[in-house]
Amino acid sequence: MTFSLVLQAIFAGVTNGIVYALVGMGLSAIFKGSRVINAMQGEFAVIGAMTTVLLLSNAGWPYAAAIAAGALTGALLGAFIEVAFVRHMARKNASEDSFLLLTIGLALTLSASILYFVGRDGHLLPPLGGEGVLLVLDAVIQFHALWLIAIGIAATLLLRAFYHRTTLGLSMMAASIDADGAATTGIDVGRMRTYTFVLGGLLGALGGILVTPLVAVDYTLGLNLTLKGFAAAVLGGLTNPLGAAVGGITLGLVESLAIIGISSSYKDVVAFSVLIVIMILMPQGILGRAGRRGG
Amino acid sequence: MSLSSIAKLAGVAALVGLSAFAARAQTSGEPIKVGAIVSATGAGAGLGVPERNGLLLAEKDINAKGGINGRPIKIIVEDDASNPDTALSKANDLIFGQKVVALLGPSLTASTVAVGGVTSTNKIPQIAFTGIGPAVERQRKCVAHVLPPQRLNAQALLEYAKSIKATKIGVLHDAGYGNVVMAELKPLADKYGVKLVAVEKFEIGATDTTTQAAKVKAARPDAVFIIATSATPFRNVKQVQISQPIVAAIGSSSYEYVNAMGQAADNIVIPEFVVGEDPLPHQKEFVELYRKTYDGTPKNYEAAAWDAAHIIAAAIKKAGPDAGGEKLCEAMKAPYSGVLANYNFAADDMTGIPIGSFVFSKLVGGKYTRTPFRVAQ
Repeated sequence: MTFSLVLQAIFAGVTNGIVYALVGMGLSAIFKGSRVINAMQGEFAVIGAMTTVLLLSNAGWPYAAAIAAGALTGALLGAFIEVAFVRHMARKNASEDSFLLLTIGLALTLSASILYFVGRDGHLLPPLGGEGVLLVLDAVIQFHALWLIAIGIAATLLLRAFYHRTTLGLSMMAASIDADGAATTGIDVGRMRTYTFVLGGLLGALGGILVTPLVAVDYTLGLNLTLKGFAAAVLGGLTNPLGAAVGGITLGLVESLAIIGISSSYKDVVAFSVLIVIMILMPQGILGRAGRRGG
Repeated sequence: MSLSSIAKLAGVAALVGLSAFAARAQTSGEPIKVGAIVSATGAGAGLGVPERNGLLLAEKDINAKGGINGRPIKIIVEDDASNPDTALSKANDLIFGQKVVALLGPSLTASTVAVGGVTSTNKIPQIAFTGIGPAVERQRKCVAHVLPPQRLNAQALLEYAKSIKATKIGVLHDAGYGNVVMAELKPLADKYGVKLVAVEKFEIGATDTTTQAAKVKAARPDAVFIIATSATPFRNVKQVQISQPIVAAIGSSSYEYVNAMGQAADNIVIPEFVVGEDPLPHQKEFVELYRKTYDGTPKNYEAAAWDAAHIIAAAIKKAGPDAGGEKLCEAMKAPYSGVLANYNFAADDMTGIPIGSFVFSKLVGGKYTRTPFRVAQ
């Protein structure tokens, strides 16, 4: 095992970790705000990325506009799902498992719709910063991956600032911690839940758009991302979106270091064994209770 | 589905319908029914859809040329949704309900094994669109295969490595198809004087294999084999700047994967059978007809299904439509020169494809070209 190989594994781990983190942050933002475990979080990523692909290659939009529209589509889809389904179920006091079934159903429906309307083919987006790579001690990282990491970190910091510094963010936190209490202070709890889904959709779509230059997006990508994002979110502490960022990067690094440290045949065995150990030692997630309070 | 693809489908349907009409002008009598099972939906749809196209085209071609001794052939195509249980119930329906004289397909190994249980006990000839799979298939002497066994695919990779004098090989393979080919590749490598310096695995549907690719690169191989059914490892080897020749197994040869490779679809050699852009002389008629009908370029699976339909038609012609399964089985074991390959179902592997049937294509800027390299018989 050479140093450059370790460095290569770290590059890959952080890049993948940021993608897991973006999906996981959206998942935990939604869980925090609505107690819904969103099994279709990965579909937000696929819808966002597919919209960007179609606008860019079929409609000829400029790349930046297509990205913005893709992210917005994810946000709007989030709002639609809350308004069309979650709101009505919540009014009738649906249980957490009913919501889980709802989102699993939506995930399958959306994946099938993409297959029907867009087809089986995988689609790529042009990498940000061009096709070039940065060479560090014989290990390579694509310019796009650097952009992905930078944007991912920026999104994480913005999310933290949003929850702590803005009235809307604080209201959303209040509504999620104590809905009745928040309602008495004049916070529209239902609307906050809609915003939570908007935020989740936005983060998911952003993750999808950012990963598409590295991994071709097709109708099957969603489930894969949901699983990794869910692992990231649980690892970090499900009610803490910032924990998902820590969880995502941990997961990405453990996976890639397992490949060079032991064997690619045992990558998942090693990665998930490590996760199980972490969960036994830190059942509240890596950021733990302190993280939960801070959100 | 876009409007244009609906229009395309309607066009194909109309053509098939028209040809049936035209065929009725030449052929007469009760159609001879042949059943077919493909994975038109589900995980295997990348195989099943092209196979269905090949079957329908073959039906049209056979009937346009006078059918089977004047009687039209009717291929009843069913979808198993990539599920062996569904394949089994469709097979039962085709054999006992529709009374087909033979069965073509299915697309996937698991379904083939399941269906083979029914066809072999009821002596119904079957030609599967798979390479021979588990040991039980060797005892089923009436279940033939039109795709090469994985051992032959492994051999083809090694033959190419030998031709470019690569003795140190790195391998990137997935945990499904890749595992099966790998199991054949390992014992063969010694015979070819090849050392496998790095063998790296990734799960099916993996979205990132750069670390595995970097590990292969670090072993400094002369060439890299990629055995997978996705575009991901191809992009990743380019990302970590592996500059050695890349040889990919036939599983990655569909346009679906090549398109998803993007700029990485360059300088990759694939041992396969049909290069539609530059067909061999005996493949030209099929390729032209396919292009006219479907507005696309065919690859291996279309050709495999086409061959299967023609082989069974030839066998029925020889033995007679009412000869019964056992005689039909014997008849289809005659050597046959198909579009995909030369077959001899009397061979031990129920396929008989010689390694010389492989052609070696090279992806250049996302487009297939045919290399002059062939393995001598």
